[in-house]
Amino acid sequence: MMNTVFSMQTKIASLLLATGLALSWSASAQITVLQGATVHPIAAPSIDNATVVIRDGFIEAVGTDVEIPADAMVVDMTGHQLYPGFVHPATQLGLTEISSVSGTVDTSEMGNINAALNVEVAVNHDSQLLPASIAGGVLSAHIIPGGGLIRGHSAVMNLDGWIWEDMVIRPQAGMHIAFPPGAVDDADNEDLKIINRTLDQARHWHQAMEASLSNGLPAPKRNDQLEALGPMLAGEVPLMLHANRYDAMEAALDWAQDQGFENIILVATPDVQHIAPRLAEDNIPVILKNVYALPMRRHEAYDSSFVAPARLAEAGVKFAIADATRGMDVANARNLPFQAGTAVAHGLDVDTAIKSVTLWPAEILGVDEELGSIEVGKRASLFAANGHPLEPMTQITHVWIDGQAYDLSAVKGRALYERYRQRQQSR
Amino acid sequence: MRHLLTLILSCGLIVTAHAAEWTPDIEAWNSPEPPQPEAVVIRNVTVWPATEGDIIENADVLFRRGKIVAIGVDLDAPRGAIEIDGTDHHITPGIVDNHSHAAIIGGVNEASRISTADVRIRDVVDSESINIYRQLAGGVTTINLLHGSANAIGGQMATIKMRWGASPEELIFEGARPGIKFALGENPKQSNWRPAEPRYPQTRPGVEQVIREKFQTAADYQKAKESMPTGRAARNRIPPRPDHEMEAIVEIINGQLDVHSHGYRADEALALMRAAESFGFRIKTLQHILEGYKIAPQMAEHGAGGSTFIDWWNFKAEATDAIGYNPALMHEAGVLTALHSDNPELARRMNLDAAKAVRYGGVDPHEALKMITAYSADQIGAGDQIGRIAEGYDADLVLWDGHPLSAFSKVTQTWVDGRLYFDREADQRMQEALEAERAELMAMVLNQGEDDAGATETDTDPADSPATAKRQTFNFARHLTGYRPSELDHDEYCVFHAN
Repeated sequence: MMNTVFSMQTKIASLLLATGLALSWSASAQITVLQGATVHPIAAPSIDNATVVIRDGFIEAVGTDVEIPADAMVVDMTGHQLYPGFVHPATQLGLTEISSVSGTVDTSEMGNINAALNVEVAVNHDSQLLPASIAGGVLSAHIIPGGGLIRGHSAVMNLDGWIWEDMVIRPQAGMHIAFPPGAVDDADNEDLKIINRTLDQARHWHQAMEASLSNGLPAPKRNDQLEALGPMLAGEVPLMLHANRYDAMEAALDWAQDQGFENIILVATPDVQHIAPRLAEDNIPVILKNVYALPMRRHEAYDSSFVAPARLAEAGVKFAIADATRGMDVANARNLPFQAGTAVAHGLDVDTAIKSVTLWPAEILGVDEELGSIEVGKRASLFAANGHPLEPMTQITHVWIDGQAYDLSAVKGRALYERYRQRQQSR
Repeated sequence: MRHLLTLILSCGLIVTAHAAEWTPDIEAWNSPEPPQPEAVVIRNVTVWPATEGDIIENADVLFRRGKIVAIGVDLDAPRGAIEIDGTDHHITPGIVDNHSHAAIIGGVNEASRISTADVRIRDVVDSESINIYRQLAGGVTTINLLHGSANAIGGQMATIKMRWGASPEELIFEGARPGIKFALGENPKQSNWRPAEPRYPQTRPGVEQVIREKFQTAADYQKAKESMPTGRAARNRIPPRPDHEMEAIVEIINGQLDVHSHGYRADEALALMRAAESFGFRIKTLQHILEGYKIAPQMAEHGAGGSTFIDWWNFKAEATDAIGYNPALMHEAGVLTALHSDNPELARRMNLDAAKAVRYGGVDPHEALKMITAYSADQIGAGDQIGRIAEGYDADLVLWDGHPLSAFSKVTQTWVDGRLYFDREADQRMQEALEAERAELMAMVLNQGEDDAGATETDTDPADSPATAKRQTFNFARHLTGYRPSELDHDEYCVFHAN
């Protein structure tokens, strides 16, 4: 019954959109009211039989005692669970399509210094992987570059849009540096020297540029790579430091702190659990790559990766759970919540687990005023499910991105399913 | 040398310390066989039998000397039976992963001839692979070790039970039917690997042709053998030269060796079924078969099972139409449907792949569980011995601390042949013992001063050999250390592509 009501309203809405009427309608306020669901705001306790008012793509009100605007489109969501969209904290969605077909892959630039790269310009808004992610409740993502020692700027993006420009939520979300593992016990490591030299050059270049602007001295020769490092050196953009083994993580943090960086986010494997106390003390957040990883060392416990989130939480580290961020995991970015689910089986409390894929990534990425919870003033990017969203058995039934109902039946997987199911049933 | 001796001594000490309670070891060769109790009863547990029957709450499962003898409420147990309280727990059959490469020594692919039907995986089973123990911890009790997918006709498979600590011969599960790996599509036609000398075929029609030609050649070989006269008449006649490849393909045609064929697309799978039909036999399973939902009625009619990934897709051009709903649609069409891992990491959480069959297409949870137990056992011809909780079946059982398809649940015990091969508590004892041993060795090294300590830094790990270094460039193995090469090995032509 509810579904019928909903689909009729969607039909009316799309009919309006299809005609010129939509223009005048959306020129005034576009208001959607989701009524009757159990709302899980994440930042606050869950609310039964709640009302969510969405105006022009943003959440205007949430609660049980909410006045419904007269011109609102009301959707009955009784019996559903409403959650904020998952915020994927590190992925290469949009930069790769079919990993074995090199013409479709733009994930890793050649060379050591790629500071001047901005990933958002290569995000294919029509990638088939994006609707698949959305159908899994992953509605926004931090898209990261993958090539070289200094890799460039990442961006937080909506996963739905007509052009990449409209999808950008936060450009320059971070400058990515891969700490060379060989530098752990080698002060003369060549790769680290390259990084150090580049950062020194960048500091000098920016000093010279400032001097030129304020004193009229000759400007330094244009250099895109050095210029791009400016926001990170000024502390305006976080240093996103990649390291995979705990000793490399420690060395990377020593190095970064020696360099004077204060705005640091560690992008790390489950091995990060071994340096949790330091991270808590230094207040460094973590993007945790892949709970679904084999133990780093053969002799380690079978569950050593599964317990990493719980260990971080116990130590008081703020973290966001990611997948492997690359390769096969890009097409399966939709499986992000299950990694957090498995962490629950291995000691993480369920509320922290869900935060680690919604509110915490938003906070770590500096987009928590817009994403990560169902709260007044945030983007209305949310989904409805028939169960707990960290459970693989749960089905996602509705999605809204910036207040717009997303047509899940058009997602390739679902469309093929319907097409072949009908054929099968007609036989 | 002295180090080695001390190592052995300290291991000995640890084993003695826990002699009273069975404790596994991280090394198979040092892991004692768990005892097989005369009788065990697990009480007050939710039983998922993976049979035609229903899920039973608050029931008991009784097994004796490795075989299940009864399922019911308030069962009478024999005197001396070990009683296990299953309150708040669920019990399922052991998981059967019928597409694995997790314990094969020396390379998964004999990527040379287009047909290597004469190669046998059972000759190279790696009983020391840590994957065996880790997968037990995820509830897996039987895995089917398949040759890789580089060749249209690959090698013969070996099915093993996860008897951690047993020899390669003892791992073999003789209850499974013999089978052989086939492969279709991009891998046999070398789309993603270009050796200096290309090999015929380079197209899908070529793959189909070469398979038919091999069938015909084998049929001719058999005819020539059969037409050899006996006795005096055989004098002065030269019999066909014995050919192990042809012998294997003859067994395929005669229905003695089941075909399990790798392939993604509908067209090539349909062609393989038709080729088999023209020689009078059936394809046992189509492996991966990501487009199975497009030919599900034809598969059901032919009798081919579908063994698939739940949601891997778009890693190759031939995987773009893979959908999570594939198992649901195949199952609905009457195809014997199973889910497999093909990957040593994923194999540790196959229950969550079954859960996704509920997510995608609303398969009933009990049916979804059968896709990793009963139906996968049926596909390797062992469904009358493993994969179900029923009288007379092997006591291969998994105890879960919650709903078996929930991400929030984990395995607490895994039984194989009525022996407790994985136990969370025993695992904890092992971890503590390893920690103590490591601390002891570290203390010894530190006490011996700088010169000696330097020697221990020499890394002689086989995982650092050049051959392994190349393989370790794949995602799931990128930063791992201390592993044996076979433990990280996989079908390198199948799914993993560095990006």
